[in-house]
Amino acid sequence: MRDEQQLLELCKYVVTHAEKKGVSDIEVLARYSSALNVDLELGEISSVNQNMGVQIAIRLYIEKRMGSAFTNIATNAACDDAVEMAIAAAKTVDPDPDWVALPEPGKYSEIKGAWQDSVLEIEPGKVVGFLAQLSKDLAQAEEGLIPAYGNWGTDFEYKAYANSNGIEIAERSTDSYAVAQAVAKTETGMTPGVFAYDVDRGTDIDSESVVKDISETIRICKTAVEGKTGKFQVLMHPFVYGQLMQYTLVESIKGDNVARGKSKIGDKMGEKIAPDFLSIYDDGRNPEFLNSSVFDDEGRPRQRTPIIENGILRSFLWDTYWANKMGVSSTGNASRNMRRGLVEISPSTIYIEPGKRSFEDIISGVDYGYYIRGVQGAHSSNPESGDFSVVGNPAILIEKGELKGTVHGLMVSGNIFDLLNQIIEIAKDPIPLIGLTAPQILFGDVSIISKD
Amino acid sequence: MLDKLEKAIDTGQPLGASYVEIRGESGFIEFIQMDDGRINALTQRLEQGIAVRVLVDGAWGFVSSGNPDTAEDAVKSACSMAKSAASSRKEPIKLADTKTFQETITSTAKRDPRDVDIEEKVQYMKNLTKHISDYDERISAITVKVRTSSGKKFLVTSEGTQIEQHGSLVWVYPWVTGKENARLSAARYEEASTNEGWEFFDRFATPEYIGDKVAEKVKLQLEGVPAKGGSFPCVCGPRVIGVLAHEALGHLAEADLTIQSAFGGKRGEVVAAEGVNMIDDGTLKGILGTSKYDDEGVPTSRVEIIKDSVLTELMTNREYASKIDQRTTGNARAESYLYPPIIRMRNTFFEPGEFNREELFEGIEFGYYCSDFRGGQAQMNASFQVGIQEAYEIVNGELGRPVTDLSISGIATDSLFKIEGIAKGPFPWEQGRCGKGQEAFIAAGGPDVRFAKGGITFGGKD
Repeated sequence: MRDEQQLLELCKYVVTHAEKKGVSDIEVLARYSSALNVDLELGEISSVNQNMGVQIAIRLYIEKRMGSAFTNIATNAACDDAVEMAIAAAKTVDPDPDWVALPEPGKYSEIKGAWQDSVLEIEPGKVVGFLAQLSKDLAQAEEGLIPAYGNWGTDFEYKAYANSNGIEIAERSTDSYAVAQAVAKTETGMTPGVFAYDVDRGTDIDSESVVKDISETIRICKTAVEGKTGKFQVLMHPFVYGQLMQYTLVESIKGDNVARGKSKIGDKMGEKIAPDFLSIYDDGRNPEFLNSSVFDDEGRPRQRTPIIENGILRSFLWDTYWANKMGVSSTGNASRNMRRGLVEISPSTIYIEPGKRSFEDIISGVDYGYYIRGVQGAHSSNPESGDFSVVGNPAILIEKGELKGTVHGLMVSGNIFDLLNQIIEIAKDPIPLIGLTAPQILFGDVSIISKD
Repeated sequence: MLDKLEKAIDTGQPLGASYVEIRGESGFIEFIQMDDGRINALTQRLEQGIAVRVLVDGAWGFVSSGNPDTAEDAVKSACSMAKSAASSRKEPIKLADTKTFQETITSTAKRDPRDVDIEEKVQYMKNLTKHISDYDERISAITVKVRTSSGKKFLVTSEGTQIEQHGSLVWVYPWVTGKENARLSAARYEEASTNEGWEFFDRFATPEYIGDKVAEKVKLQLEGVPAKGGSFPCVCGPRVIGVLAHEALGHLAEADLTIQSAFGGKRGEVVAAEGVNMIDDGTLKGILGTSKYDDEGVPTSRVEIIKDSVLTELMTNREYASKIDQRTTGNARAESYLYPPIIRMRNTFFEPGEFNREELFEGIEFGYYCSDFRGGQAQMNASFQVGIQEAYEIVNGELGRPVTDLSISGIATDSLFKIEGIAKGPFPWEQGRCGKGQEAFIAAGGPDVRFAKGGITFGGKD
C-alpha cells in the first residue's frame, strides 16, 4: 500500500460500486498497518516479528436493514465480493426502525506530529539493540531482578473512510513503544510482576524511566509485609483505577448503555456525582495523546468532551447510531472491530485534571494505608452496578508516610460510583498511558481485606 | 494453498535457517451480535493468511501475511528478522526433537456453520433473546453474540511435517442485565464447540438451555445478599474449581511462565494437600481445547501437572521442552496466522476424589459455595483473583441465600494445601476462552472441592 490516499481511493471505489448496485447508504473504513516488534524473554531477545496487512470493513443499509462485511484483500474484486456478502446479510435481517442515517461530514483538522518519518527509517537490528540494552539496564538496576518479558516495537498506519453521505477522508500515524515486565526472587517466593512502558509518536522512547519505575518498585516488593483488614486510605496508580474505571464508570458513560438502561448514572446528567475538584475529559484531539486522531471509526471528527466537570456529570459518549436515536450529536467516539463489523462506543483518551501536590508529598501524609500499583481482576467487575472486588498486586503498605513493602493477596472492594466520592486528593503530575493520562489518586475509607 | 507453502519452505535453509515452519489458514468466519433483538453486527468473511516462523542462528524470526502468494518473500523476511536478533543472544534457542507427521484430519461437524442459512442463525438468537426476556420481568437488556467459523489449517515444516486440518467453531455468549428499582445487575454465560458444527446448538446449547442458565444467574444477583469480607471455609463448584485450575495454577505450569513463577524450581516437590491431582489434557474427545496436533505439529497429550500432590510435569512447546529438558506436550497454540504459537492450556481440571458431595458441606457453620465465575486473573507470585457471579451462603452445612457479586482471591501455592476434600466425579466442563496476548479456546473443570478457612479470601463488602 503506497499511502493513505491510495487506501481512500479504494474506499471511494467501494462506495461507488455499491451505489451502482442500488445501495444508497454505505460506508467503508480501511486500515493498512505495518508493525515491527522485538520480543524479550527472560533477559534474552527471543524473536523479531513483522506483521503487515490491510483490513477493510464495510457497513451498509438497505431499507433500514444493516449488513456488514470484511476483507483483508485490497483489490477491487475482493471488495466487490465483500459488498455482495454485506448485501446478502442485509437482506436477511429485520429493518431497524431506530436507524436514521450514516454520518455526515464535519470539520476536520490535522493532529500535529501524528506522523514521524523516523519510525519508518528504523532498522530491526537497531530495535533489537534498544531492547537488549533495556534488558541489561534493568538487570543491573536492582540485585536479583529478572527481566521476564519485554517488547519494543514500531508501527505505522494508514486509515481511510468514505461513505455515501460524502465523507471522504484519510490520515496516517506512527508510533513506537517499549514495555517491560520484571520479577525478583524473594526468600519466600517471587515478587509480583512489575511492568512499565513508554510510548511516543516518533522513536523517542524514555527507557531510563521504564528502568527506574520497574526497579524502584521491585526493590520495595522484595520486602514482604503483613497487611490489615479494614477501611484505609489507598493511593492508586492510574494503571489501577484506570482499569477499574474502564470496566465500570466508562461503561456507564457510553451512550448505548445509557439508552439501553444499563447505566447507573444514565439519569444523573447535570447532577453532582463526584467532589468539586474532579474533572474528567475524553480528549481525542490532544497531539500528546497517542490515541488522538483526525476522525473516529465512522469518519466523524474527534473532539474533547467533558465527562465530569467540577464533580458534575456533563456528557456521555456517542457514536452516530445512538446519537441519532437519542436526539444528540456524535462525540466522535465510534470504534470499529474491523473483523467483526461491530461499531461500538469507546473513549479516546481519558484525561483527569491534576491536583496540586506531588505523589511523594501525598504519600508523606499517609499515616497508614496502601499504594496499589497493579490490579488483578478489574475485568470481573460488574459494569452495570459498578461493584468491584479485585486484588491489588503489587500492593504496597504505607506506614507513617513511607513505603514499607508489598502485601500479598490484598483485596480491594467497593463500588466505582461511591469511590468517586471517596477521592481525597489528586497528585499533580499526569502519567501518560495509552487511553488514559492521569496522576495517582488518594482515596479514603476503602475496604481492604488482607489475607489471614 | 499447500503447494505454495511447500514451495516456500525450501527458501529458508539457503538463508541459514535451521528450522522453517509455515502455517496457512483459509476459511469462513462469521460474527453476529444482537442487542435487545436488534442485529448490531452481522459480518461474514472469507479470510486467508500465512504465518512464517524461522530459526536462524538460534533466534526466531516471524512474519505474517494475508497473502499466501507472498510465502517465499515472507520466509526471506523472517530469516532477515531472525538474523538481526541472533547476535544479541547468549544461548541459542534449540528445539526438542519430535517425530514428523503427514496427515489430513477431517472435520467432525455434521452441520458445517458455513452451510447454515443466516436466517436460521438469526432465528436462534431471537429465540434465545425471547427465552431470556420471558424468564423474569426484571430482565432489562440482552446482548447475544454468536461466532462461527469453518475452514482449513495447514502446517508445513522443513523437517517434513505436513498436516492439513479441517475444523469448525460454534460459540454463543449472552450478556444479560437485570434491573429492580435502582439496583442493577448482570451475568454472562458461554458455550462453544470445536468438535460439533451447528448441530451443537440444536442438540445441546439450545436457546432454552443457554437462556435458563444466564437468566437464573441475573435473578439470583438481584435477590442476593452482600458477601462478607474475609476468609471463610468454602466449597468451589465445577465451574469455579475449573477456573482456579486454569488461572491460579495452570498458568504457573506453562513452562514459559514457570521459570519466573512461584512454581519455579519446584518440580518434584509436594505442592498440594494429599490426594490432589491436576491435569491438562488435549486428547479428551469432544472437549473444547482438544486437538490431535498442536500448532508445531506435536501430538497433544495428557500432562499430569500435579500428580499425587507433587508438581510433576509442565506444559511445553518445543523450545521450552529443550530448555527445561522435559518432553514435548503439544501445548503450542496460535490464535491465528497473525500470531506465533506460544504455550497454552487445553482442557485443565482437578481429578475427582473420594468424597460424597454432601460430605464436603458437613461441619461448615458459615462459609460460601461458589458456583460460577466472571473472569479471573493470575500473577506470577501465585496471587489469583476470580470474579464470582453466582454464589450461596453455607450455613450449618446447608446451602443458604444467594450472594451478589464478589470475588475470591488467594495465593495458589498456599491454597492448594488448604484443600480438605474433593468430590467424586464426573463433573461438567466449563467451555471458555483464555487471553495470554492471544485468544485460545479452552475448557476447565473439576468436581466440588472444599477449602479450609485460610485457603480462599472473599472480597465482600460487609
